[in-house]
Amino acid sequence: MNARRPWYGTGLMYVALAAYLIFLGFPLLWLLSASFKSTRELNSLAVNLIPQNWDFSNYTAALERQNLITAAGNSIMVALVTMVITVLLSMPMAYALARLKGRLRAAGTVWILVSQVFPTILIIIPLFLVLRSLQLNDTLFGLILVYVTFTMPFTLWMLQGYVAAIPPELEEAAEMDGAGRFTILRTVILPLLAPGLVATAMFTFVSAWNEFFLALVLLQSPELYTLPIALRSFLGAEGQTQLGPLAAGAILATIPSLIIFGILQKKLTGGMLAGAVKG
Amino acid sequence: MRRIRGISAIAFAGIAALTLSACQQGSANRDDDATDGGPVTLQFQSLSDQPTTQAAIKEIVDAWNAENDDVQVEIIQAGWDGTYDKLITQFTGGTAPDIIHFEASSIASFAADGYLADLTDLIDPALKSDISEGIWDSVTHDGQIIAYPSTLQSYMAFANVDLLEEAGIEVPQDGTLTWDQLRDMAKKATKDGQYGLGWGLGSPTSTIMSLALGFDGGFFEGEGEDVTIDVGDPELAVVDRIHEMAYTDKSVDPTSLTQSGSDVLASFYGGKIAMTVQGSFQATNIANDAPDGFDWVALPPIEGSAGAFQSANPQTYSVNIDSEHVEESADFLNFFMNSENLAKIAYADALIPSSGGARAEVETLAADNPAWTQVLASGDGLVGPPFLKVSKYTEWKDTVATPAFQQFLADQISRDELAKQLTDGWADVAG
Repeated sequence: MNARRPWYGTGLMYVALAAYLIFLGFPLLWLLSASFKSTRELNSLAVNLIPQNWDFSNYTAALERQNLITAAGNSIMVALVTMVITVLLSMPMAYALARLKGRLRAAGTVWILVSQVFPTILIIIPLFLVLRSLQLNDTLFGLILVYVTFTMPFTLWMLQGYVAAIPPELEEAAEMDGAGRFTILRTVILPLLAPGLVATAMFTFVSAWNEFFLALVLLQSPELYTLPIALRSFLGAEGQTQLGPLAAGAILATIPSLIIFGILQKKLTGGMLAGAVKG
Repeated sequence: MRRIRGISAIAFAGIAALTLSACQQGSANRDDDATDGGPVTLQFQSLSDQPTTQAAIKEIVDAWNAENDDVQVEIIQAGWDGTYDKLITQFTGGTAPDIIHFEASSIASFAADGYLADLTDLIDPALKSDISEGIWDSVTHDGQIIAYPSTLQSYMAFANVDLLEEAGIEVPQDGTLTWDQLRDMAKKATKDGQYGLGWGLGSPTSTIMSLALGFDGGFFEGEGEDVTIDVGDPELAVVDRIHEMAYTDKSVDPTSLTQSGSDVLASFYGGKIAMTVQGSFQATNIANDAPDGFDWVALPPIEGSAGAFQSANPQTYSVNIDSEHVEESADFLNFFMNSENLAKIAYADALIPSSGGARAEVETLAADNPAWTQVLASGDGLVGPPFLKVSKYTEWKDTVATPAFQQFLADQISRDELAKQLTDGWADVAG
């Protein structure tokens, strides 16, 4: 196929790709640049990506002033546990939704869709009251439970699509070989579902990592704040923004997320290609 | 396979450990104290965001705690963003802190819903007499004082002295600055590539409604749900003048009208605008961030036909009505608000303290920044605006007033259309 494509077609594709990468990457580069600029330089009219004077004080200010390290630890814990619980629960449920027939499946599907309809602000007070009655308000575990509940409908929807794409004949063949339901799930479905699970895990991690409003309302103790809350505290009253420390904090906050992406992305592509060349 | 199982087991144990540690409740989630005879612990939710202010508050709280073994105060540091939603949830769920830091316009609805304690008889009489009636009025609802007003901001004009002098303008430093003077100066200072005035009016409602008091433009009459709106010449006097300066005189940078106040400062430092109207707190930021050799001043308080009045929307300290320690909280706040303490906070936040004693202290603290003289002078004209008593003001402001003012300042609608949108919009919001 590639041999038939004219050279300029390939060139245009690369130009489009480069333009898209610049479009996506420029705000990050600007953020990185701002994190090394002094307040005086940030308030000047000069537009320069490379700082005139490299100023590292924004990073020390970010780390010292808003408990960023504690908040990063909380965010990592919340995002990882949310990710693991969501994936563990979603996998069998998605399998059931995709494979089982009947009214239960229809009811489950409708419920997933309906649960996506309610805006968070509408249910925040009842949610807070429920957590308080369970003694889970102002705990990270309470927040994790809420995140699992909020991300589950979408992850189920995602995963059931992946399960549905696996031919049932594979399971029938394993069944004929004497494998039970659990063995089939573990040895046949799970490996084929790996890309879907990784995609689900990435989605869940990022959702929990970035979430602000629920964490703001449900957590009251400063030592439990997650990163988005800690970063927002650089925005003050009357629109005053400590732009330099905020940029430095935001750069630091992306590092764990990038690491998780780096690890999971390999699994994602690896899983997608596994077995592709076998007859 | 055995290795994979081992890794899975470690991962599972790790996640289980993380989950268990996540179950621990935070320090803000208290068990009831004092019932066992121990010291009372008051939770004080502070929104102060500047490191210097946080340090000043900690110093004050530490001093209180050292002197009062039986009533200890614990600071819960929070941020301004999303505070309204957080507080409404805390009040509804019965977990709100004892002492609540916020601002007068935002606590009005909490007062209307009965969440805030009546502090009228608990406020130190000396403090009460040291704060003007106009400011107390901004925190009085249904005859009850529901907060201690602490610090305020006004809107001030700041000027680049070199650019004004180049234009042959004598920089006023005494008395007040009338709108005609401001307009005339902006016109004279406008030349190719340079505007006389830059004004960050991306969110224009607060500024316009505050300065309209200088023309006796109150917009609202009444309190709570029983409110009428009146949008006449006094109410539109400020926005009319800004519009004329922008589109008739062309002396206001049109881009600045879509920006925030802080965004406009870059043009001010860069010599693209000769003057800028900003929140008074910017006096400290300009002193810190302006380029070396930048010669600037704060101009006298802006005066309308009725006087140099602006709205007082102070930061406030209220007490949760469900707190078991309302009196102890008020005792702490009486200490917290004494002249010396309030001056420390106001100076650190670059805001105007509400009490006369604290203003005198700030004058001493800020002796090296002459802009503070004008900033403190503008505090004399701060009065409680009618909109603070209007239950649905915030909704009207966000959904009606801000878009209407933005369209008028962008020259997209006429003055009559602006008045109609503001009036009809209120009718819709008020139901």
